Amino acid sequence: MNDAIHMIGVYTKTIMKSWFQYKVDAVLRSLAVFLRESTGIIVVYFTLLKFDTLNGWNINEMLFLFSLLFVTYGILILFFTGLRDFSGTVRSGNFDRFILRPRGLLFQIIFVNADWFAAIGHGGLGILLFVLSAGKVGVVWTPANIIYYLFAIAGGVLIQGAIFLFLATLNIYLLETGSLKEVFYWNARKFAGYPISIFHKVIQAGMIYVVPFAFVNYFPAQFLLRKEDMAAYPEIYLYLTPVVGVGMYLLAYLFWRVSLKHYKSSGN
Amino acid sequence: MVSFENVSKFILSDVSIHIPKGSAVGIIGASGAGKTTFMKLACGLLEPDGGNVYTMGKNPVINRSQLGRKMSCFFTGIPVLNEFRSVRDNFKDLQIVYQISDTEFEPIYSDLATRFGFDAYEYTPVKSLSLGQRRRAELGAVLLQRPELLLLDEPANGLDENAKTIFRDILQERVKEGMTLLITSHDMKDISQMCDRIMVLNQGKMLFYGNKNTLMRKYAPMDIMIIQYEGAIPDLEDLPLSRFSFDRDMLSIVYNSNYITSAEILDLLIKKISIREVNVKKPGLEEVILEMERMKGDI
Repeated sequence: MNDAIHMIGVYTKTIMKSWFQYKVDAVLRSLAVFLRESTGIIVVYFTLLKFDTLNGWNINEMLFLFSLLFVTYGILILFFTGLRDFSGTVRSGNFDRFILRPRGLLFQIIFVNADWFAAIGHGGLGILLFVLSAGKVGVVWTPANIIYYLFAIAGGVLIQGAIFLFLATLNIYLLETGSLKEVFYWNARKFAGYPISIFHKVIQAGMIYVVPFAFVNYFPAQFLLRKEDMAAYPEIYLYLTPVVGVGMYLLAYLFWRVSLKHYKSSGN
Repeated sequence: MVSFENVSKFILSDVSIHIPKGSAVGIIGASGAGKTTFMKLACGLLEPDGGNVYTMGKNPVINRSQLGRKMSCFFTGIPVLNEFRSVRDNFKDLQIVYQISDTEFEPIYSDLATRFGFDAYEYTPVKSLSLGQRRRAELGAVLLQRPELLLLDEPANGLDENAKTIFRDILQERVKEGMTLLITSHDMKDISQMCDRIMVLNQGKMLFYGNKNTLMRKYAPMDIMIIQYEGAIPDLEDLPLSRFSFDRDMLSIVYNSNYITSAEILDLLIKKISIREVNVKKPGLEEVILEMERMKGDI
């Protein structure tokens, strides 16, 4: 265990060293991610200025909803960059290298890389949106709410981590999974920027039961904001984010473990 | 150390072999003969479609990670080092991965770094190195953990002659210390100098596996002896020679050393003529393999 912690420490130190070797480059690249993501928010912001509310959600509440997406991704990417980029790891032969080492595979994949630029860009934007909106949405930040918020963030990170792990595992069976990632992660995430109640029932069901982004930001935001459109969903959903996160991650991990037995290297 | 029982996979067909601990086996064959498949089966990267593979007595596919403590592999196409990190940082990573203590690590690292010469660029990121520089560091890296079993698939590509010699020396030392070596190479000099056993693969079939000297004796084509002489030529018709020819004061004799040795030929000639110079050309492993491929229908 101590050895594993030591390894994590060494890996983190070296990853940071390599990512921030060129400081100006690091600042510019983090800024680029921040600006790229901000552009999307700015478009939504000016669109929403034309309306008072969207299904009862005002602009600040929308920004609060967005902030959960960005904060969770900022944390997620520190731990799951290796899974996000897993198809490249298989193609480059690095996965075979990891397989032949006397260490846990997932441990090696997770801790050998972390996209710090994405973490700073997304996380920074998430924090900014939170700061801009949290005081204006009428949430009383009691200790219970703060604890709920922290658990919701952890659950949201695990839900997205599980999606990454599931999609990464598919690389063992399929040659190319980029399009699947595009549909099941990035496109689903775009929907998650809005209250799911504005979408068709099928999309709502998809966002709750298939790619459960609703538990990453919609239900946690509802717990704190209590908007009227929550009436369409069981109240228990407000509390399920950490449970969904842990459950999904365990399922994805099981899928990973079973699938590893089917992994085949190429002949040469 | 490594056993195959009627193993089939991709082009490999019904291969059975036992490689004892401490031996150095050279695997020879044309491109596509199944050499890399054989190596990947041995380390557990591939699972056989038929038959069984045992490495250190275990199924290598199920026990990959456990075997990884005692086994080291090099395959062209599977990166050994993280190219964004310096050579030394990569070795420090491996020190943690293989749980090598500091007191053990430093002498091995400095020995490998000095001999391979990567101490000169140990703080350079791997991605900035030339192929030859990178290969020296990679081969050092696979030797760092002092494996009991070392699998090398075409390790010499990109190495200059000096580095090849250093690499051969280190491998020979390790084999003397008890390491088992499996190596594929197109460079017959590598195989010939390092390996006591040879396995010859041809289109997935094993043409030969055994002692190098047996291979040479069994399949070696003719030796050639060139003699510069003075005097009258004796009668050579009764000798079991393949052929002989004269060119002024030069006599060329082609013979199979299984039937008559160079000493026996010289013993006869020296009584009859005055010999000024003798040159015997023995066939190399490369010629033996070519001969085998020519004969493969008869084997």
